[in-house]
Amino acid sequence: MKRPTLKPIRPSGCRSTLTFLFLMGGLFIGCVGSPIRGTAQDWAFWRGPDRSGVVKGVSLTDRWPAEGPTVLWKAKVGLGFSSFAISNGRAVTLGHADEKDTVICFDAVTGQELWKHSYPAELGDKYFEGGTTGTPVIDGDGVFVLSRWGDLIRLNLGTGATEWSKNIARETGARVPDWGFGGAPLVMGKQLILNVGDAGVAVDKATGNVLWKSEASSAAYATPVSVTRGGVLHVIFGSARSYVAVAAADGKEVWRLRWLTEYGVNAADPIVQGDKIFLSTGYGKGAGLFEWKEPEPAPLWKSKVLRTQMNAAILFEDHLYGVDGDTTEKASLKCVEFATGKEKWMFAGFGSGGLLIAGGQIVALSGSGELILAPATPAGFRPTSRAQVLGGKCWTAPVIAAGRVYVRNSRGDVSCLQVGKP
Amino acid sequence: MNHFSLLARRRFLKNATLFGGSVVASPYILAAEPGRKFRTALIGCGWWGKNILKEAIASGRVKVVGLCDVDTHVREVAAEQVNDLNGDSPKLYNDFRDLLAKEKPELVIIATPDHWHALQTIAAVNAGAHVFVEKPTGHTVNESRAMLRAARSSGTVVQVGLHRRIGPHHVNGMKFLKSGAVGDVGMVRIFAHGGGGREKPSANMEPPQGMDWNLWCGPAPLHPFNQKLHPGGWRNFLDYGNGQLGDWGVHWLDQVLWWSEEKYPKTVFSTGGRPIAGPAVLTDRETTSDTPDHQVAVYAFEKFTCIWEHRRFADNRAEKHKIGAYFYGTKGTLHIGWRDGWTFYPADGNAATQHEDSKLQEPDGHNLTLLWADFLAAIDQGKKGVADIELAHRASVLPLLGMISWRTGRSLTWDGSKEMIVGDPEASRLLSRPYRAPWVYPEA
Repeated sequence: MKRPTLKPIRPSGCRSTLTFLFLMGGLFIGCVGSPIRGTAQDWAFWRGPDRSGVVKGVSLTDRWPAEGPTVLWKAKVGLGFSSFAISNGRAVTLGHADEKDTVICFDAVTGQELWKHSYPAELGDKYFEGGTTGTPVIDGDGVFVLSRWGDLIRLNLGTGATEWSKNIARETGARVPDWGFGGAPLVMGKQLILNVGDAGVAVDKATGNVLWKSEASSAAYATPVSVTRGGVLHVIFGSARSYVAVAAADGKEVWRLRWLTEYGVNAADPIVQGDKIFLSTGYGKGAGLFEWKEPEPAPLWKSKVLRTQMNAAILFEDHLYGVDGDTTEKASLKCVEFATGKEKWMFAGFGSGGLLIAGGQIVALSGSGELILAPATPAGFRPTSRAQVLGGKCWTAPVIAAGRVYVRNSRGDVSCLQVGKP
Repeated sequence: MNHFSLLARRRFLKNATLFGGSVVASPYILAAEPGRKFRTALIGCGWWGKNILKEAIASGRVKVVGLCDVDTHVREVAAEQVNDLNGDSPKLYNDFRDLLAKEKPELVIIATPDHWHALQTIAAVNAGAHVFVEKPTGHTVNESRAMLRAARSSGTVVQVGLHRRIGPHHVNGMKFLKSGAVGDVGMVRIFAHGGGGREKPSANMEPPQGMDWNLWCGPAPLHPFNQKLHPGGWRNFLDYGNGQLGDWGVHWLDQVLWWSEEKYPKTVFSTGGRPIAGPAVLTDRETTSDTPDHQVAVYAFEKFTCIWEHRRFADNRAEKHKIGAYFYGTKGTLHIGWRDGWTFYPADGNAATQHEDSKLQEPDGHNLTLLWADFLAAIDQGKKGVADIELAHRASVLPLLGMISWRTGRSLTWDGSKEMIVGDPEASRLLSRPYRAPWVYPEA
């Protein structure tokens, strides 16, 4: 295996990122406060470069060999469900072992371990095996990690050194939800926005200083989603009893939609397109499409067609592709028309896995570790390739960067696979 | 039927039973008029309570009029789910006493933690309701006695959630056992094993917004709120549950009583501890559970010995079955389990193993549909349910005695005919416990 050749870490800050993104031809909305977008080379933040689970401008191989896509490298990262953040040739994830969470940075190409950072953490095995559930985010040379128990850490992507660290739950008085914090941090300009408290907390990403906070009552488990409306940046949070939109600048609430899910598990991120907001949660709750209205969005349709317990569906060409059902039943993969809630197809027995859509193709990892490739179309689910790439329990959606797909299971077996055309 | 006529019916029934069985049936048959739906309420709207309520709704014979839970979120979620399932719009209550007074339910499902079963069951039957209450019946022996007494004096049906009394593989396994195919059984070993390790304390915190924690604790001591305790974890706290022996043991002890012709053991001894989980912690800052991480309880019956074991560590592949009962007979060993059905291992090495798969409702692996149907049939036909309060009381007393022996560290001599511990005033005191004011311990 070739020694890793690491690109220099690009400096953090708005200007350099802007320059970088212009060079890369990425979509960019504006400097101050805007959520940063990435490219198909990276998967620096939750749900990828467009924060949508969809990656454009890549081309995947149509078929894999019988033995599956080429395995580039494998690793073990400890117990958990944390996904990957990949930027500048580095892949970061975390796992739990021996009463510690460990953040591990790999060379994204070779899998060489570059650095590790551990901190004490509870296993948190209430009704599941426990371990880490949140996903780190990379912004420039900063890696941000929010642990289940409120540890908020900025690490240097190049060295793994701690730049700052605190417990955000203790500092803000926010209640730790029953299964700990689960949403990934969201970087917006100078702010790092967290699903902590009733409707979020913002800290200065450079210092960790709290910029604004919400009521202390319980957050749920979704990742904050940014939306620009009328030139104003908003963030939507999944809270314990509702989804809530706030102004990004000061955290002021603009709407609140009562959304009751068993055990307060509003875990799936909302999906926004234009003035439409799609919500779906599990435990039998179901889905709904709403029109952006303040102080409360108006329902367009509600249905049990999609009951998303964990990984949010992906909206692609006016259709949602996502998992329906809980881990305790035989969850299925479905395609649902966004505007109407009409089910287009259903693939039974998929389990509580996850997916991404790249170059118009679904790359799905089933709940039991089968990687499936199929065109993303409402016409039907017709896999062109399937391969058992992991065993055990796979609740973590796959990610893709530079044509390489990264998957993991709960035990922390990680595999990097060549899926894009070399 | 309004509340008063319901009460009158109960009184009539109570009197009717004095004059013999033939009179009993008629008023119950009236209750079974087609299309009539029972006014039904649920107290305790958590995971298990809703499992039972879903069966009630699926039976098509209930109108859900009230839901009671001390957590606003929990009862509101439950109300939405009921509305989704059958269109009913139940009224929501924080306090079960308000629910009983205002909704006058005919059927009440009680799925609160163990420390609440007695007061709520007694209040419900006194209000004239038929009750489906979770196992074990009481948290202490005399609560269970009081529940039985109240149930019998009200004349209502009280079914206890011992669904293993009616689960198909249990019924068939028991038939096989009683047929003599296992030979003479001299010893029974019952168990529930699982993995685990050292337990770290969790930080105490404020109860969730909208939760009446004081009422959740009710007659039991007021602990600081901790996520280890709620939801679900109270089973591992002595003030609210009785550990694995109370939670799992009662099912298997009930199977033993079902098989045996004996109603109670002569002596009970239990030992166990927390060598792996570590010492129990309860400070104003943090909490661990406090029930044993392993426990053995020996029940000496007239004609056989029954041993309970649980272990929450050293999960392994050395042991073929992790949960269930082994009946050791002269012709072989019968295992009745959970998802693994029943299996007979003949003593004759040349004879084939016999086996029947379980037929459970998933994801939670129970047979509540059958138990609920039996509850309704008992009401309709004026008979006792298959998991009637009296059988369930006898089964529930056994883990509770095991816990008294474990606490006192000595063997108990049990006079089952009088339901008294012989010659041990200290242990006898543990048949009851002090209640937190204003709650009053029920009279057995």
